[in-house]
Amino acid sequence: MRFVVSSTELLKHLNAISRVISSKNTLPILDNFLFKIEGTTLLITASDLETTLITKIDLENSAADGLIAVQAKIMLDTLKEFPEQPLTFNIDLETFAVEILSANGKFSIVGHNGEDFPALPSLAENHNALNLPHDLLLAGINKTLFATADDELRPVMNGIFVELSTEEIAFVASDAHKLVRYKRNDVKYTDKASFILPKKPASLLKSLLPREDSDVKLEFDDKNAFFTLNGFKLVCRLVEGKYPAYNSVIPTNNPNELVIDRVDFFTTLKRVSVFANQASNLVRLKLNPSELIVSAQDIDFAISAVETIKCEYEGQSMEIGFKSTFLVEILSNLSSEHVKLKLSDPSRAGLLLPAEKELEYEDVLMLLMPMMINA
Amino acid sequence: MQEIGQQSNKTIVHYDLDTFFVSVERLQNSQLIGKPVIIGGGSDRGVVASCSYESRLFGVRSGMPMKLARRLCPESFLIRGDMERYSHYSNVVTQIIAERAPLYEKASIDEHYLDITGMDRFFGCMKWAQELRHTIVKESGLPISFGLSVNKTVSKIATGEAKPSGEKEVPQGVVRPFLNPLSIRKIPMVGAKTYYLLRSMGIETIQMLTEIPMEMMQQVLGENGTLMWKKAHGIDNTPVKPYSEQKSMSTERTFEHDTTDVYFLEQLLVGMTEKLAFQLRKQQKMTSCITVKIKYSNFDTHSQQLRIPYTQFDHTLLETAKDLFRKLYQRRMLIRLIGVRFSHLVSGTQQLDLFEDTSERVRLYQSMDQIRSRFGSSAIRRASGLAVRQAIDEMKMTAPSIPSSPLVINRRY
Repeated sequence: MRFVVSSTELLKHLNAISRVISSKNTLPILDNFLFKIEGTTLLITASDLETTLITKIDLENSAADGLIAVQAKIMLDTLKEFPEQPLTFNIDLETFAVEILSANGKFSIVGHNGEDFPALPSLAENHNALNLPHDLLLAGINKTLFATADDELRPVMNGIFVELSTEEIAFVASDAHKLVRYKRNDVKYTDKASFILPKKPASLLKSLLPREDSDVKLEFDDKNAFFTLNGFKLVCRLVEGKYPAYNSVIPTNNPNELVIDRVDFFTTLKRVSVFANQASNLVRLKLNPSELIVSAQDIDFAISAVETIKCEYEGQSMEIGFKSTFLVEILSNLSSEHVKLKLSDPSRAGLLLPAEKELEYEDVLMLLMPMMINA
Repeated sequence: MQEIGQQSNKTIVHYDLDTFFVSVERLQNSQLIGKPVIIGGGSDRGVVASCSYESRLFGVRSGMPMKLARRLCPESFLIRGDMERYSHYSNVVTQIIAERAPLYEKASIDEHYLDITGMDRFFGCMKWAQELRHTIVKESGLPISFGLSVNKTVSKIATGEAKPSGEKEVPQGVVRPFLNPLSIRKIPMVGAKTYYLLRSMGIETIQMLTEIPMEMMQQVLGENGTLMWKKAHGIDNTPVKPYSEQKSMSTERTFEHDTTDVYFLEQLLVGMTEKLAFQLRKQQKMTSCITVKIKYSNFDTHSQQLRIPYTQFDHTLLETAKDLFRKLYQRRMLIRLIGVRFSHLVSGTQQLDLFEDTSERVRLYQSMDQIRSRFGSSAIRRASGLAVRQAIDEMKMTAPSIPSSPLVINRRY
């Protein structure tokens, strides 16, 4: 097995897929990149068993197909230091000796048998398949990823729930305190189908997708999902289990409605929350017609802050408490100029919506559960 | 001996209300004045929480089983006690002290430490302390004693010597001569067991304890031995802490008759957890660690604890407490005591859960808490915890002996 590849090109690809490799692998072989030559294409794979990422490089100069696993760390550390130049890889598939020839040197590594590398899972016969615009998938992940949970007891909440239907596609994430639902009706599927995408592949996609320029091919069954991008293929095991019935917890009757400048609200919260109790981060929102009073206090240190912001409010006067960190996070993940806060009462969830739609066919809903006040 | 020389010149006063619970009862009922009074659980298994000096003449001591106390002094007035009223009076006294003292520490319901270093520039520390004592007696109507010395330990011992209704000053130079002839029992950290151990070693007075090498004390009693040895020398550098955060809250119950009735025990556990959870919410705290303790009739004590996400809601706490109890109670043996403790407390309020905390439940808790704040913590309770109370009430009517709670002084540490 032999091939010639540009050092920077190779490093770029290896860097992109190296994020899959986990620092505490159960199988030693997973510390390796798998190099595979098929004719004039070089396929490089990195995996942590749950998620596998494959990248493709077209070669001009290659001989003899084959398969070899090479230590990821050694490869990355050496390649980092090379100026742009062609590198020749000579691999003896009998002894797994790898020789890298550069313009003025030779590097020898002992590889591992590529056959030991875990095989890719296969999809069920009747799997679902569709093409998604790359920007849609990116927006769906970007809007929801922050709201996913870190809860060992409820693994389904640790991922993004993607729900396809004949009318729309919805991305949902929640950690039981906040919930985000991002819906788009510019993509439809022929049937009803859903899957839960774990955090790790979601954040990998988040970093890969901005460089894409064409549709992403998505295939999935009830165990695995395959995302085929231009130069990459991401295969991941899905979170198994039933996602909670999120639609039933979104309050529908919210007579109290506040419209406020998002950036004003955000900066006020940032300032006021400095004075909130460090453990609870409780900020109180007092809603009156035409003004919103944001206050926080930390009795232990005898500090407090209060600020009034102009707003449009229709509804009865009320006081509601939120965790400032969550509220700030939600506001920073909205992008509209004004936000709409819809409330029913201080013990029910508040809805945060963009006041003006950026895209005709999208529907963003963020929800935050309040904190108990004056208990 | 170098350490003695290093002692800072502080002036610490220790105020201790004399027979506090009895004094409060006497304020309410003047007929009790001059008579032997015993306060404690009404049943035979309860212990004496406080007793008047008159009853002490008969040999009654606090901590003694009520049955024994009654036998020693049959003519004494027995009172069940009312913790809420006692803490009210305790707060009255704390308030008086807080208005005047530069630095104070409330060590327990009836004890305060004051750091009045530097107050001697006015009229002398003793004069100031005396005036404060008179103010407290005048304004609260409760007798109080104090000890004035160079650190907390010596002040406390001095108060013990000054009682009842007395005052004692132990200046820097006479600390050792003051301590030396006293019994080792007077050192605050020497309890019944340590006392027994030290007496078996032939140590009787504090002077004898000081003559023992520190290393030997450490061998016998570990770290505590060193500390005790230092205290015997009149060395105690612990500062007067104005405020110590509450680390845990707990409650426990000893039964009239040891029981294996799991149903009854679980009911009791529900009631206790519920009450404690109300306290938690009232103080705007959340807990993340629950401990359940049981004591078998042979005094074997077992406990189990579990870390949970921060919460202040009954339903989570109740479930966890019940699970722990089921795990804990494996031996089919009689139980004499059950207790619950919440620890790892932080101040804050509950972040509601989207899928678990319905609006109805939240409002139910808020309404229940409002009722409790207004009418007392037992005004409204879960039926699953209520059955016990009913059962107790029924038993009250039929049988003369009833299971009841001993009065527990919840010291804040």
